Amino acid sequence: MSKNLIDLAVEELAPLLENKSISPVELTKEVLDHAENSEPQINAYMDIYREDAEKDAQAAEKEILNGQYRGMYHGIPMALKDNLYFKNKVTTMSSKIHKDFVPDYDATVVKKLREAGVIFTGKLSMHEYAWGITNNNPHYGPVRNPWDLDKIPGGSSGGSGAAVAAGSSVASLGTDTAGSIRIPSSACGIVGLKPTHGLVSKYGCYPLAWSLDHIGPMTKTVKDAAGLLEIIAGYDKNDPTSVNVDKENYLSKINGDVKDLVIGVNEDFFFNQVDTDIDKLVRAGIQSLVDQGAKVETVKIPTLQYAEWAELVTSLSEAAAIHDTDLKNRPDDFGDDIRMLFELGQLPSAVDYLQAQQVRRQLKQDFNKAFQQVDVLISPTLPVAPNNIGENLVDLNGKQVDLIDNIIRFTGPANLTGIPGLSVPCGFKANLPIGLQIMGPAFSEALLLNTGYALEQTKPLQGRKPNLLVQS
Amino acid sequence: MSLSIQALLKNKGIEVKETHLDVLDVRWKGMQALRGNLEHANINDADIGIRNIPGGDHIE
Repeated sequence: MSKNLIDLAVEELAPLLENKSISPVELTKEVLDHAENSEPQINAYMDIYREDAEKDAQAAEKEILNGQYRGMYHGIPMALKDNLYFKNKVTTMSSKIHKDFVPDYDATVVKKLREAGVIFTGKLSMHEYAWGITNNNPHYGPVRNPWDLDKIPGGSSGGSGAAVAAGSSVASLGTDTAGSIRIPSSACGIVGLKPTHGLVSKYGCYPLAWSLDHIGPMTKTVKDAAGLLEIIAGYDKNDPTSVNVDKENYLSKINGDVKDLVIGVNEDFFFNQVDTDIDKLVRAGIQSLVDQGAKVETVKIPTLQYAEWAELVTSLSEAAAIHDTDLKNRPDDFGDDIRMLFELGQLPSAVDYLQAQQVRRQLKQDFNKAFQQVDVLISPTLPVAPNNIGENLVDLNGKQVDLIDNIIRFTGPANLTGIPGLSVPCGFKANLPIGLQIMGPAFSEALLLNTGYALEQTKPLQGRKPNLLVQS
Repeated sequence: MSLSIQALLKNKGIEVKETHLDVLDVRWKGMQALRGNLEHANINDADIGIRNIPGGDHIE
């Protein structure tokens, strides 16, 4: 049993921990050993907290033995993205400028996970300041995709995606401003949920673009994501955008029943310029839901034609404002790629920014109208497969296209509108996993998770795992 | 066009690497192309919805 612990999901580990078949100490040691052994290949961790984790695991073991089991994530070893504040721990944003930054408080999500009994194994690498999707970091080296070490893991939460896929973190949290949870989740073959804006507090997360930022689960399975969301969701007066809604038990609403679910398909935007193999896989995923009783309707969302522009103007401008002083005083301390994005963010006018917000408002209304017709929308998470590390162009049906422009096309609208988006694996193109995105009305996470679970039951990854050659 | 981007940023106190200018130019033009003239965007009556809450961030 213990040989395979790193392959198990939280939903499989939790009962073993609760009934004392395994110990948090044993599990944590395996995860830490595997993390250290796989690091030379995937480079997912910024820092490993072995000593702290072993101590916390012993405390968790004692509690569980004393009958004080706290719930699904008690005793689960997890590392988090390095833009989430841990009190008295260096939090770098994988940047040079913040390499010695030590927050004096825990992020709200970190505090909640501590209370749930999570054992923190360390901090995970990310695209510098979360402003990119390759995780090819100039200061700390590239994170590699465990399915193919020459490929990007996606980003900006690429360390989280790679670590969960490789088994060096049982689950993780990512942050998502234009797709940074869903992109690496798709590229690494895991489940990633960007919740509704305001459902999960952003307090203690270093911002990329305030109005677009989200924190959410990145996990091996849909049920793991549901359990994690239950812990981290909730109103927080410290976050100005937090929304006071009733707590939900997402796990209890997952039964895989999609009979009479109405799936919306938007051909004009969400299936336009998509890799042919990805298109087929996503449509096959939709068909598998239809086979289980769902229905499909086509929907129109006219304002989507301006979504990319509005997303770019909003994210570039907000990020440029956050980094304005450092861009003027120490520009050479940024990686070239994000330095150019901060420079680009200085160019839109105030009128551009405000018109982008008007587009955003109209887009929300268009989505609301679509959701009067259908329950969920399904699209590819990414229109292209992950490319080789260091390449800025990517193949799209035989044509070389710009990676950044294309990879956020289908994820950005959920950030602009604030609606939830879930990426779940739907198959392979060559040896790389491909993700399918499910979007729904605000606060419809339970519905998205149930739909994702129904797809997951068809076993689109056929039980395959990344084949890392790790010395143990 | 490259020079105007360089000049615009320089006026804001930002030094741009020469090697970045072409990329910035292409990206900026690309953004303008995505925007077009917003002629099909029905935004005339779209309130941007910024909330001005007296006394704090939340209505408690």
